[in-house]
Amino acid sequence: MAIPFPFSAIVGQDEMKLAIQIVAIDPKVGGILALGDRGTGKSTAVRALADLLPPLQVVVGCSYGCDPASSAATCTDCASLKATGKRPKTATRPVPVVDLPLGASEDRVVGALDLEKALSQGIKAFSPGLLAQANRGFLYIDEVNLLEDHLVDLLIDVAASGENVVEREGLSVRHPARFVLVGSGNPEEGELRPQLLDRFGLSVEVRTPQDIDQRIAVIKRRDAFERDPQGFRDEWALQNQGLREHILKARKLLDKVKVGDDLLRLCAQLCQALGTDGLRAELTLMRACRSLAAMQGHKAATPTHLRAVAPMALRHRLRRNPLDDTGSGTRVERALTEVLGA
Amino acid sequence: MNLAWDDALWALAALHIDPVGMRGIWLRAPHGPVRDEWLSLLQHLRPNVRRLPNNIDSERLLGGLDLSATLSTGKPVTQAGLLAQSDQSLLLAPMAERMAPEAAAILGQVLDNGRVTPHGGGDTQDARLGLIALDEALEDEPCMSESLQERLGIWLDLRHLGRQETASDEILGLLGVLASPDEAADTERQTVFERLRTLRLNDEQIQAITQMAQAMGIASLRGPLACVRLACVLAALRESAAVEDVDLGRAARLCLTPRATQMPAPPEQEAPPEQPPEPPAEPPDDEPPPEDEPAPPDNEPPPPEQAPDSPEEDTPPQDLGEMLLEAALASLPPDVLAQLASTRATQIRGGGQSRSGEVRQSRSRGSPLPPRPGLPRQGARLHVLATLGHAAPRQKLRSPSAFAVSAQSLTPRLRIRAEDFHVHRYAERTQTCLIFAIDASGSAALHRLAEAKGAVELLLAQSYSRRDQVCVVGFRGSQAEVLLPPTKSLVRAKRSLAGLPGGGGTPLPHAIKLALELALQQRRLGVSPSLVMLCDGRANVSLQGSGGRAQALQESLSWANAWRTQGLPSIWIDTSARPEPQAEQIALAMGSRYVPLPQANSQRMAQVVQAAAR
Repeated sequence: MAIPFPFSAIVGQDEMKLAIQIVAIDPKVGGILALGDRGTGKSTAVRALADLLPPLQVVVGCSYGCDPASSAATCTDCASLKATGKRPKTATRPVPVVDLPLGASEDRVVGALDLEKALSQGIKAFSPGLLAQANRGFLYIDEVNLLEDHLVDLLIDVAASGENVVEREGLSVRHPARFVLVGSGNPEEGELRPQLLDRFGLSVEVRTPQDIDQRIAVIKRRDAFERDPQGFRDEWALQNQGLREHILKARKLLDKVKVGDDLLRLCAQLCQALGTDGLRAELTLMRACRSLAAMQGHKAATPTHLRAVAPMALRHRLRRNPLDDTGSGTRVERALTEVLGA
Repeated sequence: MNLAWDDALWALAALHIDPVGMRGIWLRAPHGPVRDEWLSLLQHLRPNVRRLPNNIDSERLLGGLDLSATLSTGKPVTQAGLLAQSDQSLLLAPMAERMAPEAAAILGQVLDNGRVTPHGGGDTQDARLGLIALDEALEDEPCMSESLQERLGIWLDLRHLGRQETASDEILGLLGVLASPDEAADTERQTVFERLRTLRLNDEQIQAITQMAQAMGIASLRGPLACVRLACVLAALRESAAVEDVDLGRAARLCLTPRATQMPAPPEQEAPPEQPPEPPAEPPDDEPPPEDEPAPPDNEPPPPEQAPDSPEEDTPPQDLGEMLLEAALASLPPDVLAQLASTRATQIRGGGQSRSGEVRQSRSRGSPLPPRPGLPRQGARLHVLATLGHAAPRQKLRSPSAFAVSAQSLTPRLRIRAEDFHVHRYAERTQTCLIFAIDASGSAALHRLAEAKGAVELLLAQSYSRRDQVCVVGFRGSQAEVLLPPTKSLVRAKRSLAGLPGGGGTPLPHAIKLALELALQQRRLGVSPSLVMLCDGRANVSLQGSGGRAQALQESLSWANAWRTQGLPSIWIDTSARPEPQAEQIALAMGSRYVPLPQANSQRMAQVVQAAAR
């Protein structure tokens, strides 16, 4: 792995960092969509995400990194391992954060015929693609709005079902592909289809810091990092460690956090006021509230939490008139004031 | 001594010393003596710099299975890709403006990560490199992928240099040492690199660079970052113990000025404090002062608070900042503002999707379908994977040992027969681009410019759901102009429309000509264009911009003919109060569908176009 920029050393970008932490605590919140200009450090933040997450237990020899603890999720690899009768070995590895490059071929994304095996042994075998690599982790798409349509369709389907079904080149394979989708892009350059937008749990707007001191701080840290990546990481190791422990603690607390009916009612009212379709918005809101409460060490989610996460959770779900350029952020704010009172 | 050429050579030396730190260079220059000179110097410095062929596939770029070796040996042979092979070195990409989007995306990622994963999985390899991207795009052509531009540290534009430029002795001497054939060059490079490790910018210098970037409207922080790094490299090259102003100035000229989206006010010798607030009041006048002219407002991404920033910066005298600014401005060619506007405009075009034009058209048009058995002929490409996949399981059956052992069969090789051949198939999903030509002349404005705008808005909403591109041409007064280059961003389309004023003559010939040029350009990019003309047909301004109904009509008809001969679809919506014979005449010449709309409303217009577009 290339050495990523330490998460705790990221300057500013508060909303983005909050969203990442919420998702790190509860991946069920769904993915993150980061919108903003180039060079604002979106991808830095995303790639630093692995810092926050405790390593995973995986089955050795499974291309999909299945969890040894779960018996339900069986992929073909695990099934064949099981068939040998031996207890599978386990290993720890960091949570995968997989980059999906723009313009990636379908082969690379879904996987393809394993040429090596085909040529050397004449065996028809499946060589897993990026979706397999991203299982149980994060799939990061930079410039998601420029993604080719056929890849978008594919991702929508896999993201919804948590399973990648490959029926091509004479292969017939299905494997688990449960990942959190993280996208970034510049909305000025093209718009996203509503179906894909809906797949993202939270959306954040990233701007370059306008404050000159912050900008200077960014440049200094980045420069120090580029000069000596490992040294810089070591410097921040303690902070990162603290952050990770915090996330772990929050994860433990997560199940104990209560989300009362009053709050659910507020969520529903909010969604109704904004006219979002489907129940996904409410679910995301509820989960994000819970996650944030856990992060702050609260036992119950409150309207304060709701107010903090609502813009992130709803901004991209508003039924959008393509010609209406009033920011959806303001519309959410308005609805919030309406529902929650000033 | 020519400053630009001198800078170009410093950039070259810096790239040679620290390819990884600089990430590379975006070099804009036509194929010519200037660029050749630069490249030959590069050749001297790094005799074996790798070239990136334009038609490279991701397999070769990333590494993976070496097909030919695998086929000949019968064993899997993996091969490092071009990126891994260029680790710690430079990679030369000629004709970067035509680079396939796939390759550009991969390069961008590698420049960010410094790691590459071979095709088909496997261990990641180091690929920390600097990219030399040669961009030959002309003024009005789309240039290299924006996300790739962004990642390259140095931006250099040699388009305005003459052939016999001279540089300072300092850099020429330095290049001489670095390029000497013996080991001295290597040691020199090492020493410079070692020196680089110890060099740092002080806080004041970093602050100056950051402030300047902000004043120039550079939102991205990659620009100032590259500038910081380059300043250190330049100081190391000069064997200086600390980074000095001359390094900062040079670095700013190479990293910041070319990225500017707005011009900071040049430092004035004795700036009276009242002066900065004054210019904003002036622009309505006929000639705004040049330093105050920002790029066109629609294309301006940087936040609005930039403007109050620069005057504020002028008030406290900041020596270093001003010095830097002066140094940076020194490198500006006189027509920089016009250029600025044109680069912004060209960059927007295409949205990065159909950059590589015809290559892409024939290679992978539409979404891929599963390959099907067939022979690779008539332009169909062999699908190697599928072919091998088909042949692989049959190898044992086809093994000659079952029948006879000949001398040839001692070398194990794959037995592929014609029946194994598979070819690529693609689902044609042609993108469409709707060109709206809107008559905003006095006669139209009087009647129903507002209605036309409304109709276009409705159409835009429809094209949004089909994800068409749209493009708006407005014409009034003496000429037509492209208000909005093809885009998918409808918010921008709407904005450009709202800003369209009415009044003046009807330069119809120019409008048709412009629409035709746009349409042909789009067609070259693999997009199918169609035109929606909203006009009353009362052409009264000729191509030269002079009045005269007869000539304007004549020219309109001949351009209309040109449109028809290209076989391009169009719809003519007559916006006059009652059907206008002249409009029908021109529409007929264009081969367009003529729709008179005496009692039009926006809804109705939109319905007509929608029906016709089907």
